Amino acid sequence: MRRKIRFMLSFVLILVLILPIFSQTVFGAEGDRVVDVTLLTRPKSSASNEYEAINLVAKNLRKIGVQAEVKVTPWEQMADVVWYQRESWDITGWQMTARPERLDPDEFIYNLFHSSTAEKGYNFIGYKNPQYDKIAEKQRVTIDREKRKELIYKAQKILAEDVAYIYSVHPKINNVYNNQVFADDSMKEMAGLGLKNFWTYINAKPISDQKDIVLNFNDTVQAINPLYVSGTVDSWITELIWDRLMRMGQDGLPKPWAAKSVEWLNKTKVKVVLREGMKWHDGKPVTVEDVKFSFEVPKTGEAPMYRPFVKKIKNIEITGDNTLIFNLKEPWAAFETASLAKINIIPKHKWKPIIEDLKEKPKNAESYQADKPIGSGPFKFSKWEFNEKVILKANKEHFHAPKVENWVVRFVPNMEATLGMLENGEINFLAAYTGDSTLLKQTVDNDAKLTMNSSVDLGFRFLAPNHRVKPFKDKAFRKATAALTNRQIVAQVVYKGFAVPCDSVVSPALEFWHNPNIDYPSGGVKQARQILKEAGYKWDEQGRLLYPKN
Amino acid sequence: MNLKWKYLIKRTGQMILTMWIISTVLFFIFRLMPGNPLVAYINPTFTEKQQEILMEQFGLNKPLWMQYFIYLKNLLQGKLGQSFFFKEPVTNVIAKVLPNTIYLMLTSLIMAYVIGIIGGIFLAWKRGETIETYGLVFTLFTRSAPQFWVGMLLLAVFSFQLDIFPSGGVASAGIVYGSELEKLFSLQFYKHLFLPALTLTIYLLGLPLLLMRSNMLDVMDEAYVQMAKMRGVNKIRVMFKYAARNAFLPVITAMAVGIGYAMGGNVVIEKIFSWPGLGRLLVKAVSTSDYPLAQGAFILIAAIIIFMNFIADIFYNILDPRVNIEDRK
Repeated sequence: MRRKIRFMLSFVLILVLILPIFSQTVFGAEGDRVVDVTLLTRPKSSASNEYEAINLVAKNLRKIGVQAEVKVTPWEQMADVVWYQRESWDITGWQMTARPERLDPDEFIYNLFHSSTAEKGYNFIGYKNPQYDKIAEKQRVTIDREKRKELIYKAQKILAEDVAYIYSVHPKINNVYNNQVFADDSMKEMAGLGLKNFWTYINAKPISDQKDIVLNFNDTVQAINPLYVSGTVDSWITELIWDRLMRMGQDGLPKPWAAKSVEWLNKTKVKVVLREGMKWHDGKPVTVEDVKFSFEVPKTGEAPMYRPFVKKIKNIEITGDNTLIFNLKEPWAAFETASLAKINIIPKHKWKPIIEDLKEKPKNAESYQADKPIGSGPFKFSKWEFNEKVILKANKEHFHAPKVENWVVRFVPNMEATLGMLENGEINFLAAYTGDSTLLKQTVDNDAKLTMNSSVDLGFRFLAPNHRVKPFKDKAFRKATAALTNRQIVAQVVYKGFAVPCDSVVSPALEFWHNPNIDYPSGGVKQARQILKEAGYKWDEQGRLLYPKN
Repeated sequence: MNLKWKYLIKRTGQMILTMWIISTVLFFIFRLMPGNPLVAYINPTFTEKQQEILMEQFGLNKPLWMQYFIYLKNLLQGKLGQSFFFKEPVTNVIAKVLPNTIYLMLTSLIMAYVIGIIGGIFLAWKRGETIETYGLVFTLFTRSAPQFWVGMLLLAVFSFQLDIFPSGGVASAGIVYGSELEKLFSLQFYKHLFLPALTLTIYLLGLPLLLMRSNMLDVMDEAYVQMAKMRGVNKIRVMFKYAARNAFLPVITAMAVGIGYAMGGNVVIEKIFSWPGLGRLLVKAVSTSDYPLAQGAFILIAAIIIFMNFIADIFYNILDPRVNIEDRK
């Protein structure tokens, strides 16, 4: 009898021990503690602002009873995990940087959040909302700008309501130039891109013996190739050497450039008239054949990075000496920005034999590096000293010939030295600066020959929550985390005033597209607790956050 | 077979074996490291198809063992592959920066060893005097001062305050040398080389100086040196001809090995002075998971180090016939 009782007691004891574990895993863990959260960030040395902002959020998460740990990893390893192991992380610091083609909201609105890119594309957070998908798709085919604006407004509103991203800030772009070298009114600010843009490079007017614009960048050039989308500085160079049919204007909207005019004949037919008298850097004339060829090469598979920018073009007809008709497979609202202002016009006489030759080889056109690249743009290629600098010479025959004689970019990885170089005249335009903004401001304030321009970035910084995993799969938890982020403090304290709070993927710098009426969660710890409470979350006696019962 | 030949064949065999081990370790270490060469291309317009094309281009779609044998086969043919990041043959990419690394490292190494050897002889000769104490403290200070600190200090003073030397690169903004020869005959190049070379010299100086000094102290107690002094031979002659010559040996070995290591460049100094050398390139290759470039550069460095060790052994034998090859059989 005693043995029987002992057996029964043991059985009950085992049940008592096992049942809670069993119920947690099988029945969805009602009333359980919220799982520990790991926040990924890049090291302080390479992304100090992100590191500080993430630590601030982690600290606030702990205040609401969540065990939060910050994990620091270099960008390459962090990106590898976030991109290729989509189920294995909780939340990560991330950034979208400013690029001219991002002046159209399509890239951010569609590629970042459409469910079709959730598995292998840029929607690495796994955001899925059928209602949003419809709007993202519709804005792509709505040619009427005002109607499209309404859709873009709606998309921004949904993203804010769903707290798809936990926004942080739009940093300010700080560019400094030497006012004894360049006339102030010749330095052109571009919406969301600051002074570091195409219009400054072609308009900068020297007022001293120094006739070159000498700028810095903290990394090296990967390739100078009109058929390869490579690094940041590479894109600055390609847009100066090669012309495009359109250019993004200072207001952020596309303007005809190598095209004399661009006319929408209907929703899928666009007539382009090429500017007359254009010449390649080798003296040969630029023809409509060259233009057609430039838009067809990416379709051959020899330039896969450019393929997305032409894939909706059905065909191109040459209808006159200077006229082309682009027939689209379907209406494409971002066609001007994402295609006409993106594709580099390349000389057919140079590239045709190269492309033909490459078709027989395993390599494609991305691996091709010409000794002396030929374009038709406002600057000609002059020299490339590997890991040191690139020199472009002004093309005085261009229809918009630059005022400077040379455009020189120097690769300076030492940020502190960059400031010294600016002061002693080794560079005269600060194009990239990742150091302390207040130090930069001090340097400029103490040196009368330097002028600083700060403007709101097209890009933004944010925390990307993984919608596939707990606790971020719950909208209420994302909302609470957004409230905890305290964007105002991040802008003022972490970015020392050189940033503005972000509430949308469309920057306020893009006045036309930015929705100013977005209600995004804020209010800090108190508000976060309130949001969680309303969603049914509770706290145990140790103050640890518990999941809602349903 | 002559013993010397036997020794040479044996050493060559050892070198080949070492190279194979290094190549194998390098192959696996980069692939096992966290990171992915495709992350450099992450972009909102980066499609699945593009990812597949890149994997195929990089040869990463094949099984690891197959990649390894292709790599070994290419190595035997002297091919280091194509850089993922720069999309150029690895040898071309390395060749662009190797001369700058050699100029910087060799200049610093020679300056450090010349000053170090003379300084070492001098301090040994002044043993027990105040100047020796100051000299030693100074040497230890230069050896332990962080390179980035010394570099930034020199930049702040000579470049940004006094404006005597340029702050970075190998030439001013608009200047490009037509050839390596033109570079070597240009005053501008030496003005750019001065500060990084000085920083590195200050760092490297300690080893030859202290090594030379301690060897000299050992040698100076030898009977033949005492005898020379008693015979009234000129001090300088005793110092250099009798003592220094025999204290030289380990310093020369250290220098030969130092040359090997120098080929790897110096990341810190290259970054401070924006020097376009191999060190910065290596960091870029590792951080972007550019396997062929990282492997190629490290294999090259390893080959030079192994070869310089071999040269040091031969030199040892020539400089001191007592350390002969037969003793090592």
